[in-house]
Amino acid sequence: MANALRLYLSCIRNTLEAAMCLQNFPCQEVERHNKPEVELKTSSELILNPILICRNESEKCLIETSINSLRISLKVKQTDELENILTKKFLRFLSMRAEAFQVLRRKPVQGYDISFLITNYHCEELQKQKLIDFIVQFMEDIDKEISELKMSVNTRGRLVATEFLKQFI
Amino acid sequence: MTAIAVHGFAQCITCHAWSPDHSMVAFCPNNNEVHIYKSVQDNWERIHVLQKHDQIISGIDWSVKSNRIVTASHDRNSYVWNLEGSEWVPTLVILRLNRAALCVQWSPKENKFAVGSGAKTVCICYYEQENNWWVSKLIRKRHDSSVTNVAWHPNNLLLATTSTDGKCRIFSTFIKGVDTKDSKAGAFSDSKFGELIVQLDLSFSWAFGVKWSPSGKTLAYAGHNSMIYFVDEIGPSPLAQNVALRDLPLRDILFVSERMVIGVGFDCNPMVFAADERGIWSFIRFLGERKTASASKYGSQFSEAFGKLYGQPRQDVGNESVESSRLRGIVHENCINCIVPLRERRVSTIKRFSTSGLDGKVVIWDLEGQADLSQYL
Repeated sequence: MANALRLYLSCIRNTLEAAMCLQNFPCQEVERHNKPEVELKTSSELILNPILICRNESEKCLIETSINSLRISLKVKQTDELENILTKKFLRFLSMRAEAFQVLRRKPVQGYDISFLITNYHCEELQKQKLIDFIVQFMEDIDKEISELKMSVNTRGRLVATEFLKQFI
Repeated sequence: MTAIAVHGFAQCITCHAWSPDHSMVAFCPNNNEVHIYKSVQDNWERIHVLQKHDQIISGIDWSVKSNRIVTASHDRNSYVWNLEGSEWVPTLVILRLNRAALCVQWSPKENKFAVGSGAKTVCICYYEQENNWWVSKLIRKRHDSSVTNVAWHPNNLLLATTSTDGKCRIFSTFIKGVDTKDSKAGAFSDSKFGELIVQLDLSFSWAFGVKWSPSGKTLAYAGHNSMIYFVDEIGPSPLAQNVALRDLPLRDILFVSERMVIGVGFDCNPMVFAADERGIWSFIRFLGERKTASASKYGSQFSEAFGKLYGQPRQDVGNESVESSRLRGIVHENCINCIVPLRERRVSTIKRFSTSGLDGKVVIWDLEGQADLSQYL
């Protein structure tokens, strides 16, 4: 189990290392603009082929690259309804605070739970290795965090139920 | 070590150029200014700041004979700077571009310069005496995407360009009244302005960093698919060689001699390529010491992962990055995007060159005393 996760993460790490070769590139279509090409998709030659890394049906990672920007979209494992709700709420909480994370996208790409947008400006300001570490660490921890949340919800539920049922004894 | 001097000038450097006597360096610190530093007794002092552009400057070239600086910027303009007294005086160049200018280079005779642009055109600029400005002639409708780099053939007529459509093209740039027809240019002497001589379609991805060898016999350029291409016998049937790298792609290259090329790029470490006796090009080695192990430590807490990224760009990386680079023995810590030769007068081979990159350092390298490389010089 842990081994499979490590393989998945190292695959993502290696892909990111190769994909994160970004440079400053002004817009070809609009005068005096400089926008992430992966979001605009105005010129097809500036977009590279997207890469989809799947661990299983419910856990996947889409990496889209262009000349000056890179988009990473994650789908987090959700086995039951409770996990589904927890993931949604938790990632929404993070997305609302996107500017604090710099590389987080405010809205995830359709079909995914959370998206990161890395531009050439991030590569100029931050260290590439640390950026990749952050993404991988994030993926590693998100599962842990969700299962911990789920556990605490269950524990609390059990406690409340016990307390409630005590009055009938 | 072959890096003989490292200077951290700014947070980030987009491009740099040296004065003819190598005592001054001009660079753009990732904004709309050009800073000129002069070396005064082992220290670098800022002596000029050239402010005229209003967007990031993408290209600088300093002419050797006429001591003029030309700059190109994303604001669609280009200026030629002349030193008058102690001031640099700008002259506007009428580029007639409607997109960003991406690169600039003086021609070998320094009577023209070429500007590559995001408008999918190349401007060839020359000085018009009667109007006292630089005018440009455009090569239009030849490129399918932005022109990332330009390189002049030593004969002052041919211009090679690379573009994000993955092609490398060679044009004739003969301008009546500026160039004279002579037999030296060989087979291409009677071609018209803007005539496409060769189109090389070798790369599947964006092409960068085109350069001619000192004699003009060989052309080399890099592709974003981690390839470097060497082309001989430019003409109707060019001879091409592809060399694939196992590392990250290159951004710029430099011919040190006819048989040796230095490539720089996303791997933060200059790579040496050389041709053997039969003219077969191959990767020789990295110029800096090779990284041994990437030092990555993981925190266990979620908050720590956030802390890694949030609130500590730049200011805090100082200590750690020094440590990690010492561990790895690499001089540059971020992508290198510019390599410039330090050419001695009356010496044909280049022994020294400088690189600059997104980590804000200008590093001077010396090939002297590299026993395994001296055979290629």
